[in-house]
Amino acid sequence: MTSVPASAPRGYSPSATFSMPRRWLKARNKKNLFGLLILMPVVVLALVGPYLPIPGPLDVAPIDSLQGPSISHPFGTDKLGRDIFSRVIAGARVSLLIGFSAAGLALTVGIVLGTVAGFMGKAVDGIVMTVVDIILSFPSLLLVLCIVAVFGNGLPQIVMAIAVADAPRAVRLQRALALGLKSRSYIDASRMASAPTWYIIARHIFPNTVAPMLVVASIYAANAILIEASLSFLNLGIVPPDPSWGNIIADGRPYLQTAPWISTFPGMLLALVAIALHLFSDGIRQNLDPRLGV
Amino acid sequence: MLMYSLRRGVQTIPVVLGVVTLVFCMMRFLPGDPAAFMLGEGAKQETIDAARADLGLDLPLSTQYVNFVKELARFDLGQSILNRNEVTQLIGNALPTTLFLGATSLILGFSIAVPLGTLAAYFGSKGKTWMDQTCTVGALVMDVIPGFWLALVLMLLFTLQLGWLPATGPVEWGDPVAILKRFALPVSVLTFGQIGVIARVTRASVLEVLGDDFVRTARSMGTPELTVLFRHALRNAALPVITVAGLSFGRLLGGTVIVESIFALPGMGTVIVNSILGRDYPVIQGVVLVYATIFILVNLATDLAYTKLDPRVSL
Repeated sequence: MTSVPASAPRGYSPSATFSMPRRWLKARNKKNLFGLLILMPVVVLALVGPYLPIPGPLDVAPIDSLQGPSISHPFGTDKLGRDIFSRVIAGARVSLLIGFSAAGLALTVGIVLGTVAGFMGKAVDGIVMTVVDIILSFPSLLLVLCIVAVFGNGLPQIVMAIAVADAPRAVRLQRALALGLKSRSYIDASRMASAPTWYIIARHIFPNTVAPMLVVASIYAANAILIEASLSFLNLGIVPPDPSWGNIIADGRPYLQTAPWISTFPGMLLALVAIALHLFSDGIRQNLDPRLGV
Repeated sequence: MLMYSLRRGVQTIPVVLGVVTLVFCMMRFLPGDPAAFMLGEGAKQETIDAARADLGLDLPLSTQYVNFVKELARFDLGQSILNRNEVTQLIGNALPTTLFLGATSLILGFSIAVPLGTLAAYFGSKGKTWMDQTCTVGALVMDVIPGFWLALVLMLLFTLQLGWLPATGPVEWGDPVAILKRFALPVSVLTFGQIGVIARVTRASVLEVLGDDFVRTARSMGTPELTVLFRHALRNAALPVITVAGLSFGRLLGGTVIVESIFALPGMGTVIVNSILGRDYPVIQGVVLVYATIFILVNLATDLAYTKLDPRVSL
């Protein structure tokens, strides 16, 4: 990438069309592949975790208290002698589950409400966008804190809280995309051919917005994972002894000097997964719209 | 410009009202009996009844709402359930710490990230891709490293190992050196995240502008490269940067909650975390309202700055 074209578009191009995932992956940009390469082992480990021949995440063994990384305990052990590797893998299940389901939920709400707002006209649009503006006036972590404070800190509540915080951004983006497409001539042509609105949405609007929405979904997942970790770190999320990356890091706080491995490994994994999701998103975006530059 | 500012100001009124309503609903949405929930298990029925009457939860919902808005207009946010302190007073004590933390991190983040992003874009446009890639990957890493984890690492290094900076202790506003030392770590953590976000956007935006005709013209006239970069390109690339800075301020506010509770700073974040753990809902309400108000004002300021900076944005 040596030169920059004169009129590269800002942000997402509504003209980017939906294409098969295979095409996103094999295009000239390899960032998404690299992201997947980092992400896949974590996902696989999280999935097969319970079947691995390692101590359970809740198995207490006082005799092994605060041992450094070794062959039998690759990430060391904590005060109660629990295997950090096993806890980190169990935490990965929680983190990934929350990340992906919150992002999926936010995306679904965003696509539905955004299309409705963009397509249905003034009154509906006004109401939806006012609600969106109201929710967006809360810093997201704070909104999540409030929802959890009111509805409790179970896994479904946390997923819902994060989805509520992210959905308004998805609604805005989808609405902008839908509005951009609405004035295209092929939509007019479709209308001339007396296609019903649902058909236009299903046939033209939806396929043309899925790709850019997936690009942001991956970022939402990264944010959701970080927010859940922050929440659990503050003792307001997943409740110990159930492991989550955030509460394992919090567990390690008193032992920072004597047993730094407790906090280090989950923290590194957390950063790694977030980076992988960002790379994945960047790669897809650039493949969809090569003019964006590397 | 004045008309636009007024109109934009008026537009925020429904949003503010919505925020107030949402915050009002928060305490009333608590599962079961809010008064009993706040006092926890084992509270006597009389205590619960007293608390309910005290918080006005026994009145009809509409009356409660009117009272809530009336008291809000008088800047009365009620009393803490735990220690009977006025919520406004609690917030008044905590707000300076949070504002100082946030503002310092924002300014520092800006002054480091904007030149960094501009240089990355410059190297990218000159074909020195590895420099650009290094900056971009660096910014991405800074963007996504969890603040609380970074805080622990810095604490381990500078407090526990080297003993240079305190991680806890009182905040003495009278002593500049002590303040500098006390805030060095928390501000670094917040700045780190800010740099990541702002540098990425600056790079993308400047890279785009560097391909424009006026940049070529400036170069062909023999304008020094630094002038081209920082006067011509950066100025025209400023708008997306400001937009994102406004948005990332929300993240910064969220970050203060975490950083304050790690470094035991007596700010709004510490207040809200403690009151959530203690189910002190009047305090939660107040703090959330103040946080949201700050965020709304910052977004308003961003919007106004946007139109001020770019005459092309129609008023």
